[in-house]
Amino acid sequence: MNPVAIDASTRHKEAALATWLRERGSVLVGYSGGVDSTYLAVVAREVLGRDNVLAVLGRSASVPAEQSQNAIVVAERHDVPLRIVGTGEVEDPRYAANPVNRCYFCKSVLWTELTPIARDHGIAVVVDGTNADDVSEYRPGAKAAREQGVESPLADVGLTKAEIRALSRERDLATWSQPSAPCLASRIPYGTAVTVERLGQVERAEAALRALGIEGDLRVRHHGEMARVELEAALIDSWLEPANAQRLTQAVRSAGYKRVALDLRGFRSGSLNVLEGVVAA
Amino acid sequence: MTPLESRLRDAGIACRVEVRERLAILVSDGAGPTHDERLRAIQLARAEGFSHVCLELEPLGAALPGD
Repeated sequence: MNPVAIDASTRHKEAALATWLRERGSVLVGYSGGVDSTYLAVVAREVLGRDNVLAVLGRSASVPAEQSQNAIVVAERHDVPLRIVGTGEVEDPRYAANPVNRCYFCKSVLWTELTPIARDHGIAVVVDGTNADDVSEYRPGAKAAREQGVESPLADVGLTKAEIRALSRERDLATWSQPSAPCLASRIPYGTAVTVERLGQVERAEAALRALGIEGDLRVRHHGEMARVELEAALIDSWLEPANAQRLTQAVRSAGYKRVALDLRGFRSGSLNVLEGVVAA
Repeated sequence: MTPLESRLRDAGIACRVEVRERLAILVSDGAGPTHDERLRAIQLARAEGFSHVCLELEPLGAALPGD
């Protein structure tokens, strides 16, 4: 992955972010260890100092354990104060039913947990890692954030994902080239119940594929007894070759899927939203 | 035979098509598609109204080499 060049516009946005943070004085960052929230937490730590930042990581079955562990390591490396809370969204029947606005219920649970923590610590504002690109996407979780007064400084100053990656690389953040990592429930079609077992099955299948050396964007979409694997388009032809196809199939079957299919178009962010007709193809 | 199956066959791509709403699952006992066949399959699937097309790998019950 090649980051975009950091131009004057990007510098201006980063300066605006620092100003935004100084004006608030202290922030609690809803932290996932992903590209956006890591950059935000590290900049907040730099601008506001250690005593005025708290990153809070939500842990649940919908977040791969490895991702949570990496998030902890990154926070330690950059001296960002971190607190870990268990979030029980999978136990919420409104979330588990997996409606189109599932993310709304997940984020409602998350921000309901985090807002009192901010209050108890005397922190001025709760922020998330929503960036300027996210604003134009279908994101019901954003509604929950707005309802609870959560602010989105990266989006407010207009920083895009590409710019955040470039600025992260400049800061030597390991996350700069990390693929986007939405929660595991995003692999389960709407209307199919989200259960701990299904989330675990997806997590094991994706881990098995990573163990084969597959890099970049990767998703195992859950279709009952079948797993539909999405890889970066440039990798597809190679993984369709018989020996590789056999390895890929065995890896995914080891997670409990009977049938394995490789998507011929490859990875698409929000692929199930397209499949369900929630957004246009 | 589904319309997509028929169009794929005309394009020289022999397979069964399992339809799950807007998802087309291609099931073939033969070798995987070449790069050009893959792109053609995507194109034909889209023309038939599918948003997604995938190929089942090593389908259970498929003929094994030497069978």
